[in-house]
Amino acid sequence: MATASRYLPQSHRLRLAILAAVAISLFVPLIARLWYLQVIKETAFVERAADNTTETIIELAPRGRILDAKGRVLVDNRASILVTIDKEEMASVPVDDLQELFYDLATEISRSGNLTKVTEIESAYRSNRYGPFAEVPVVQDISEELQIYLAEYSYKFPGVNTTVTTVRDYPYGSLAAHILGYVGLLSEDEISSVALKAKTYLANDEIGKSGIELFYEDALRGTPGRKVVTVDKFNNILEINEEIPAKAGSDVQLTIDIDLQALAEQELARGLSTARQQPTKFEEEGVVIFNAPAGAMVVMDPRDGKILAMASHPTFDPELFVSGISEDDFDDLTDPGNFLPLLNRAIQGTYPPGSTFKPFTAYAALDTGLIGSRGILGIDDPFYDEGVFLIPSCEGGTCRFQNAGEAAYGDVDLRLALTYSSDVYFYNLAASFDILPGFDLESVQVAAKYFGYGSRTGVTLAGEGSGRIPTPASRRDAYRENPDAFLTGSWLTGDTLNTSIGQGDVLATPLQIANSYAALVNGGTLYAPNLGQRILDPITGETEVEFAPRVLKEIFLPDAFSDPILEGLAAVTTWRSEIGTEGTAYSAFKDFPHEEWPVSGKTGTSEKQVENALIADYGLFVGWGPNPDPEYVAVVILEEAGFGGQVAAPVIRNYFEMIARNSVPAYLSQAEKDQIAREEATKASFNTNNEIDQPNEEDGVS
Amino acid sequence: MRTSRERKNLNLNPTGDPWSPWLHVDIALVLSSVALAVIGAFMVFSATRGNDPALYDRSYFNRQLLFLGVGVVAMASAAYFPYRRIRDWVPAVFWSGMFLLLLVLTPLGVERNGTKAWFEFGSFQLQPSEICKIAYIFMLANYLERFNGRLDIRPLGNALLLGLIPIGLILLETDVGTALVFIAITMGMLLVAGAQTKHILVLTVVGIILSALVWSSGVLQEYQQDRLTSFIDPASSQTEAAYQQTQAQIAIGSGGLTGQGFGQGQQTRGEFVPEQHTDFIFSVIGEEFGFVGSVIVLALFAIVMWRCMRTARKSPDLLGTLICCGVMTLFAFQMFQSVGMTLGIMPITGIPIPFVSYGGSSAISSFVGVGLVLNIHMRRYQVV
Repeated sequence: MATASRYLPQSHRLRLAILAAVAISLFVPLIARLWYLQVIKETAFVERAADNTTETIIELAPRGRILDAKGRVLVDNRASILVTIDKEEMASVPVDDLQELFYDLATEISRSGNLTKVTEIESAYRSNRYGPFAEVPVVQDISEELQIYLAEYSYKFPGVNTTVTTVRDYPYGSLAAHILGYVGLLSEDEISSVALKAKTYLANDEIGKSGIELFYEDALRGTPGRKVVTVDKFNNILEINEEIPAKAGSDVQLTIDIDLQALAEQELARGLSTARQQPTKFEEEGVVIFNAPAGAMVVMDPRDGKILAMASHPTFDPELFVSGISEDDFDDLTDPGNFLPLLNRAIQGTYPPGSTFKPFTAYAALDTGLIGSRGILGIDDPFYDEGVFLIPSCEGGTCRFQNAGEAAYGDVDLRLALTYSSDVYFYNLAASFDILPGFDLESVQVAAKYFGYGSRTGVTLAGEGSGRIPTPASRRDAYRENPDAFLTGSWLTGDTLNTSIGQGDVLATPLQIANSYAALVNGGTLYAPNLGQRILDPITGETEVEFAPRVLKEIFLPDAFSDPILEGLAAVTTWRSEIGTEGTAYSAFKDFPHEEWPVSGKTGTSEKQVENALIADYGLFVGWGPNPDPEYVAVVILEEAGFGGQVAAPVIRNYFEMIARNSVPAYLSQAEKDQIAREEATKASFNTNNEIDQPNEEDGVS
Repeated sequence: MRTSRERKNLNLNPTGDPWSPWLHVDIALVLSSVALAVIGAFMVFSATRGNDPALYDRSYFNRQLLFLGVGVVAMASAAYFPYRRIRDWVPAVFWSGMFLLLLVLTPLGVERNGTKAWFEFGSFQLQPSEICKIAYIFMLANYLERFNGRLDIRPLGNALLLGLIPIGLILLETDVGTALVFIAITMGMLLVAGAQTKHILVLTVVGIILSALVWSSGVLQEYQQDRLTSFIDPASSQTEAAYQQTQAQIAIGSGGLTGQGFGQGQQTRGEFVPEQHTDFIFSVIGEEFGFVGSVIVLALFAIVMWRCMRTARKSPDLLGTLICCGVMTLFAFQMFQSVGMTLGIMPITGIPIPFVSYGGSSAISSFVGVGLVLNIHMRRYQVV
């Protein structure tokens, strides 16, 4: 067979060969490229294909609920419609149209009742916490009508989507807001700190920011579900490869009883408003106005350290945080001019405890023997209180100390000194600690620290204050740090005197005060106060974790110490002598059912030092009952409100009277209130109908 | 006297038996081109069947099998009539093809992906530029043959003018890819027809200058320019073209050495590569059959091209040689361009892979091309 055609000249064979060579050479780059893609880079492309075709869908798990001691739901979840913007899709919208789109969107959302500014949408959209392909949450909680509208007019709003999410719901409104706290979007710091947690977090997730929501975050947080699926280009699911269902977070049951909580909040607010009605005082130093802007109240069970109620005024509405709080609202809540509504004064506010501190000074005197056989006087020995105390051989600073209003109580023993709240009696004790050899200068401080002052109580809430118990050493340090704030860096006898009556540099949180009294009245067991009672399975309601009382320490408190102190304090509410001297809270507890529900208490009136301003005293009262085995210890502090016996004691009296008379009103949720209102409206209309019928008959008669 | 012998042996069949040429059919060429078409049909099935086994879409597969059948018949027909006789019909076919190219620019034509290149009849489309390829090859061979392998400047100019007609019309469709195919065919055939080296060099330079002028003239839309350049650095581009090439490479790369198996390609199943049943069908081959399968497909093309070149050498006359070279160039260029663009080393031009890609016009024109080569092969002993 001929290899080539007969007609073909040599030159053409060459040309054919060139063409063939060109054709063959075409295969070289193709095969080289195939080798590169399929053999050298195979792994990388397999991964990219898997990225393309497999998708992990995170199914959000609802957060656990927060219940009160009786199982009523304080914080629930509800479905909420969220408007999101698909950044990827939105990126294709021309910049000029974007502004108009945001404007239209804000208009539509606002028209539906959820007032929204264009700038809010824009700043959410531009927030750099989301990647370029993310769905950015813009506005929470829109109506169903608006959701339908947005779906219908989706061509007008490209990239704008809606999804249903769950948000926190507060059936009892702002009740216990400070305890419950609030949730919010993960901050950048939190994103890194939650990375190692067992329950996964996504960038859009919410996390407890304060209160119980923060403290029990790990329990409340649901475990998100995961679904690994194979998808096509259009994200249609072709196959489910792996599925882990979402698990709702656990419920947290609190020791709080909402009836007691609501009553505490009401009485606190009432006490403040009563205090504000006192006439302005004109003193030598200036005008004193009873502003009574803020206060706190704590109610505990002294038998196990459970907190039954904890109120802080002013309060806030946690609902504000549900859709993501606006900047203006947040500024309002953290503005000192609004008295910091977000501050939980019960654990974060530190106050001079004033006279409520005296029982611990008394304890110090008994414990060290200053009162007793080796000391300066016996328990029952009288000391003559002439209203003024002069420090013996005074060396500087203030040397003359007096009772409030220089009241002279005459002969007082330890019990009466507590009952009348004689400062002079305690000044005498303090001066003796300071002067007498064989006694520790810091005896009062040591005793106060036994009872938990100066350190955090360990309550199950974040952000607790530790208060302050001043000592010569701490004074020295403070002076070194800020020499302008003190006259001298050395500790003077006057400082010991001030400390002994809970003034000077002594600071305590209302909870510390409540907790110290709980130990005093329960026989000396200092508990770390509990707010959480148990953690419950959200589905079955079974207890997962039960929180036992946490004993911090057993204080040496024999009856010989506690009896005289408690007797003196029992008389605060009941004692009135023939000559008219009375316990500091006698009038506040007048007509209290003392027989059925014996109550004790201690008043306190403390001076808060504020630079360049004269402000009213802080009124305090600590009460407990029913004696002899108290079930309740209650502390109230009213800022700038005046005498503790006058303004604070009535708050606790009213509170305890309700408990004593077993008439604490059941606090209803908004839904329950609405239900009752509806029923009454039906009843009322039924009655009116009857009334309308009758005149008709009478018409006939007349 | 040569002419009288020609006239005398018009049948040009030494044995006188009209079926004897069929004894010389190039089996290898037939088998390899049909093999490519069968593989292509199954790839089309894999690319278009959808994901629900109960509802597999067989329509594309069935239609492609139909095209394969029609293509084989067309191949046989193209081989049946002696090619030197077909020559008489060629001008009529060519000019009707040109007329269709003109017609497709009218509102009768249908636009797809920015290119107006189709007539639509129900669910079938006709792409006249595909059919014109073969007519053009024959027409050009017919003209070039008479210069006995030495082209002076005038015949060269005439040939180029002839080529400008379909190329111009196709550029008016804005089908740059097909126009490039015509240019490649012209170049290949001119080379073999005896164009002088200096002319070829000048033509190449002029071609480059013209391309640059067209590029900067603004005739091309932005997306068209992008399609032509995105392969250089697809990662930097956010366009559909870059996406398409990136996805195609992911599909091919994830196929690895031996592929994921027929019907198992995740990229293919997810329909991540646009046009994966037509111009980008090589991504399906690469993903499902891997390097081995891809090389086998390329090897089949190599066989087809080899057989064309072999026939070109054995052809009894220059006409046959030129036709074979034209067809070979057509296959080589389309294969290289289309596979290369899928692999990311060539720009996106929207050219189908002969035999493999879905599409009736392409399948039929490819088989007609093979038929002509067979025709020449069968009649290689006939005395001219």
